[in-house]
Amino acid sequence: MMRIRIDNRPAMRIKAVHPLQLKLSFVFLFYLQINSLIYQEEKQSFRTHDSRRGNESVATGVSMSAMAYVSMGEAHRRITDFLFRFSEAVSSQDGAALKPLLAVSSNSALLLSLADALNVFQDWGRLVKQADRNSVQLGEILTPFLRCIQNYRMERFVETYVTFEKSANAFLQEFRNWETAWALDAMYTVAHEIRVLAELADKELASTGKNPEKLQGAGSFLMKVFGSLAGKGPKRVGALYVTSQLFKVYFKLGTVHLCRSVIRSIETAKIFDFEEFPTSDKVTYMYYTGRLEVYNENFIAADQKLTYALMHCNSEHASNLRMILKYLVPVKLSIGILPTMCLLDKYNLAEYTDIVNSLRSGDLRLLRKALNEHEDQFLRTGVYLVLEKLELQVYQRLVKKIHFIQKQRDPGKAHQIKLDLIVKALKWLEVEMDVDEVECIMAILIHKNLMKGYFAHKSKVVVLSKQDPFPKLKGKPVST
Amino acid sequence: MYHTPVLPMGMEARNIQLIIMDMFSSQAILHINKWVLVRIQTAAGYQCSGYVDQNNYWHDGSGGSYSLQHSNYPFEHTNSTTTSNTTASSVHYQQAPNHWSANYGAAVSNVIPTPGSGNMVATTVPISTYPSQNLNGGYSYASSQPPPPGTTSWRGNLSSPLLPSSKAPDDMSKFLNTCAVEKTSTVHNYRLNQIPLDLQKPLKSNLPSGENHEGSGNDTYTNVPPSSLQISQASLNPQQPLQAVSVMDARRVSKMQIPTNPRIASSLALGMPKLDKESSTTNAAAKPAYISVQVPKLHNQLSSSDNADANVKALPPSVCDYVRRCLSRCKDDASRTACQLMLSELIAKAKDDGSLWTKNWDLEPPLPLANSSSDATNLNILQNTVSSITKFPNKRSKSRWEPVAEEKLDSKFAPVNLESSKNVSWAERMAGSRILEGMDNGWTSMKFPLVQQQSTLIKSSEKPVKKQRLFGPLSTTENDSNSAEGGKEPELNTHHSSAITLANSPEEKKKREHRSRRFDKSQESHADTEQFKPKGAGVANIYLRRASAMLLAKNFDDRCGRAVEDMDWDALTVKGTCQEIEKRYLRLTSAPDPATVRPEEILEKALSMVQTSQKNYYYKCDQLKSIRQDLTVQRIQNELTVKVYETHARLALEAGDLPEFNQCQSQLKRLYAEGIKGCRMEFSAYNLLCVILHSNNKRDLLSSMNSLSYEAKQDEAVKLALAVRSAVSLGNYVLFFRLYKSAPSLFTCLMDLHVEKMRFEAIKCMSKSYRPTVPEDCEEWLRAHGAVLAVDSYGELQLDTKASSLTLYMPEPEDAVAHGDANLAVDDFLARAS
Repeated sequence: MMRIRIDNRPAMRIKAVHPLQLKLSFVFLFYLQINSLIYQEEKQSFRTHDSRRGNESVATGVSMSAMAYVSMGEAHRRITDFLFRFSEAVSSQDGAALKPLLAVSSNSALLLSLADALNVFQDWGRLVKQADRNSVQLGEILTPFLRCIQNYRMERFVETYVTFEKSANAFLQEFRNWETAWALDAMYTVAHEIRVLAELADKELASTGKNPEKLQGAGSFLMKVFGSLAGKGPKRVGALYVTSQLFKVYFKLGTVHLCRSVIRSIETAKIFDFEEFPTSDKVTYMYYTGRLEVYNENFIAADQKLTYALMHCNSEHASNLRMILKYLVPVKLSIGILPTMCLLDKYNLAEYTDIVNSLRSGDLRLLRKALNEHEDQFLRTGVYLVLEKLELQVYQRLVKKIHFIQKQRDPGKAHQIKLDLIVKALKWLEVEMDVDEVECIMAILIHKNLMKGYFAHKSKVVVLSKQDPFPKLKGKPVST
Repeated sequence: MYHTPVLPMGMEARNIQLIIMDMFSSQAILHINKWVLVRIQTAAGYQCSGYVDQNNYWHDGSGGSYSLQHSNYPFEHTNSTTTSNTTASSVHYQQAPNHWSANYGAAVSNVIPTPGSGNMVATTVPISTYPSQNLNGGYSYASSQPPPPGTTSWRGNLSSPLLPSSKAPDDMSKFLNTCAVEKTSTVHNYRLNQIPLDLQKPLKSNLPSGENHEGSGNDTYTNVPPSSLQISQASLNPQQPLQAVSVMDARRVSKMQIPTNPRIASSLALGMPKLDKESSTTNAAAKPAYISVQVPKLHNQLSSSDNADANVKALPPSVCDYVRRCLSRCKDDASRTACQLMLSELIAKAKDDGSLWTKNWDLEPPLPLANSSSDATNLNILQNTVSSITKFPNKRSKSRWEPVAEEKLDSKFAPVNLESSKNVSWAERMAGSRILEGMDNGWTSMKFPLVQQQSTLIKSSEKPVKKQRLFGPLSTTENDSNSAEGGKEPELNTHHSSAITLANSPEEKKKREHRSRRFDKSQESHADTEQFKPKGAGVANIYLRRASAMLLAKNFDDRCGRAVEDMDWDALTVKGTCQEIEKRYLRLTSAPDPATVRPEEILEKALSMVQTSQKNYYYKCDQLKSIRQDLTVQRIQNELTVKVYETHARLALEAGDLPEFNQCQSQLKRLYAEGIKGCRMEFSAYNLLCVILHSNNKRDLLSSMNSLSYEAKQDEAVKLALAVRSAVSLGNYVLFFRLYKSAPSLFTCLMDLHVEKMRFEAIKCMSKSYRPTVPEDCEEWLRAHGAVLAVDSYGELQLDTKASSLTLYMPEPEDAVAHGDANLAVDDFLARAS
């Protein structure tokens, strides 16, 4: 399998080219690759923006050039080099140096070339042992880790995950013993990697008809990490990052109820001061907890959290902003606050345009159409039920408009709207409803305080209050 | 009995060993054999010759266990040979006890408790108790004391066999003979035969058919299932083979064997000739010298145990047996009470004239009331006795365990061990492990490894010294006898002052006493609680089961391959043979029995029967559940399965049985996901409705809506469900009730559960938004919900909305139950049960 893959690489075809040329072409190719990868990932999930990961992948031309063919000596050199760098980073407690060494899925040149070297130099276990003898006891981390690198290179993701988890557990063991937070960055990488690799593994498992369970495993590993961070020590600032990773796992698994325990410990434990955490983590945290509130139809809290996330999110990260807005817009709508069209345009939220318009115009048909059109999307993101409830506001708008027209025509009876009128209006909108049903809607509008007044059953007339007959929500949700 | 072929060959200890090896090819056996050999060599001190030694070993190691088989055999022997032999038996008995006492000293104690506790521990007891029992009951009974009431039957039976077994074949035969001579003894044998035999019905064939005793003995024989025999053998010892051989010898080959055994030497010589001549009559006389020496001891031990029993129970075990026997024959309550009266008279009389302890109750013919068929008796006895052993035969006969026979047996034994471990010394546990081994041996060489593992497992949990391990069973027996003795020491002494001296060094005695005390205590308590209580027995059995299950599981952990497979559904999947269409649902607590499981065609009929049945929901639910169970145990997953679940789900909906509906729904979800056809849309609509109306989980709703395919959304039923959902979420009560009216009946059933809530919401909404009044025509409901009603000038009833808006409330549902599930209400339960 390896062989086939190598053969497919453009690099293999240019064997006779001058080394320098080769080098250059590789650098170019590599950058292309990296960029596309980054792009892909952006689409996938809400990214925590910081400099913690991904940047290390800048290739060094030297290591790239060796990808095509690795001699035994070169392989040996690379492996020992890696081992040396690793143990050096650990012994000098250099988190920044350690971090790139652990980022399996970063596709960094360093690790890719290492993987090639490992394939050539099969007896690398001996080297690990040697290194183990010479320096810190890292064999338990490194042996599975190198195997993981190998597996990843061969796209055997299940094994990749399994080996990585083994290595990560060993790493966590060590990490617990490190008093200072120097390795926090590296831990972040591990936490991120284990989630990404678990997702890959699950995809592979699912494609072979097996039970995708690795993400769950990653979740429990992350819980362990969380436990190691949730203490009084300096490492506690890392807890929120791990929490974010956990959120991602739970949301993906559809087990959001598991979030609660983490949230509770973050919000109630005295060791945590929310302001102390890095901003990017806070934003992520607020984003996810805000989403949870949307599920619970707890609009006020959702509004607060998502607004916080929006305000603190780095304004350069448009995709993150967009993801926040995807939830914030429906929340705001349901508490009666409409966005500007330009905001929707800017963040590519076209699906909400019609909905906002229907709220403006009281066009029930438009609302239903919009909901219908984007049903799948809304269901997926989980805002469908929220949007559906906007219907009452659209009715309100409609009655309000009728009221205005009536006022112009017959100011004396401005506050009495005949039911027939409303039925007729709805008919124009191609919404078939009979008197009873409309009566019911009116009753609900009054009941929910979207309309002030009363309904006279005998005469089938809505009698509106003279003062503020259509109260605005003003940031409050529709009463239930 | 399978040993029989071996017996002829096994005259020599070595030979026996070899044979055994051949037969079972199990290492364990080999070990045992070696051990035996060693033992024999060391045993020199004993009076008995090789044979005796062997016996001793056995006693040591497995004493108790022997007894079962032996007892059977000897009895048979005696029986078959004739009752005439009886006289000599007493001597033999004594010998056996002597051996015991000498070698092990304490042996009896464990057993002793049995009379009282017999029921409780019953399963465990047999093994451990055997030795003691043998000592006590079998011989002692015959000779001196009637067994304690009720519980003891086992012991008595067991014990008597044990003794013979423990002794060398010659001894055995002699014993038997002697027993036979004394009528009482014969009774014993008979007794023994009965019980063990019952277990070993299958053995029948092996055993020389029914000549054993005069009366019912034969019958009992026949009853015994083979499995039980094996079990007992197994239980006997690791050295079973030897024992078995010996038994065999005793029975048939006695002549041959005796001569062949080099070790038996001196003592044999005496006994042998007689045996050779005729096992039946002559033996008694032959045994003289060494026998005589031992006799007193035996007596002592026996008596001691008996006494202990007596202390505990006041009635000798044999009497208990007898009573039970008699009662068990009674077919109905009337005859039972009559029988009880007669028995109490009888016993009182016996007490008065002092024959209570001297009479051989085992021989006593059952009261006239009794049913003549011994089989029936046996059965009853089996049922009555708590002992797992008894149960086994029953089970076996059902063939319920057939597919996993060995495993099950093991497990059964295991429970015994566990149980015993609670009250009894480790030795007994050891015995248990022994039993396991023995069983394996008995069963087949194939299984042996497994068994070994098991036994080692068990052993590993105990720290005992290696030696002890080897001697496990024997020591157990010792303990048993000891304990028995301990409690009864004084009495025993008076009875058989001469006997004890041989075995008892002072320390030994002390130890024994100590142990026995312990035992007596536990046994006593057991006896108190358990004796004569069939229910208690049931409980015990349950425990055993559970324990066995646990042990099974434990074993599975340790065993690889086959065992795991057995636990697996694959192995437990059965193919039903039951042809009955109707079947009540009973939650399985054990592996399914193919005989009670209906095959697919029958199930289909059953389904249509239920569908067309006019009976109430509880009946149908019961039937459907049993159908579902049968489907499950046969792992049938096809359209029939779907149909059954669909039917049940619909019926449950109709009856408003939401829990049952949810069960079916979740099964259906799975089945549909596997691509089995059915009314998928209909049920996803139900599912939607359920989520909408009965859980307030928005996420669930979202995900179930999200999972609807495009086609599903076009389905009428699903559309309807979605419409209901939107009506509910908007609070559009008009739409909701319109849908409710027009929906198919089952939808209505689901919505029913939400109607009340919706109606109340509606009235609340209306009372708030309507002014001044609303005409009303459902006064009762409104008043129940606190509405304020007024009659207007036209005489029509009006709802005073303003007033009502403050007073409306949702009354507590009248049928609400504290635990929240109306289905658990007593009435319903009774309705179902009837």
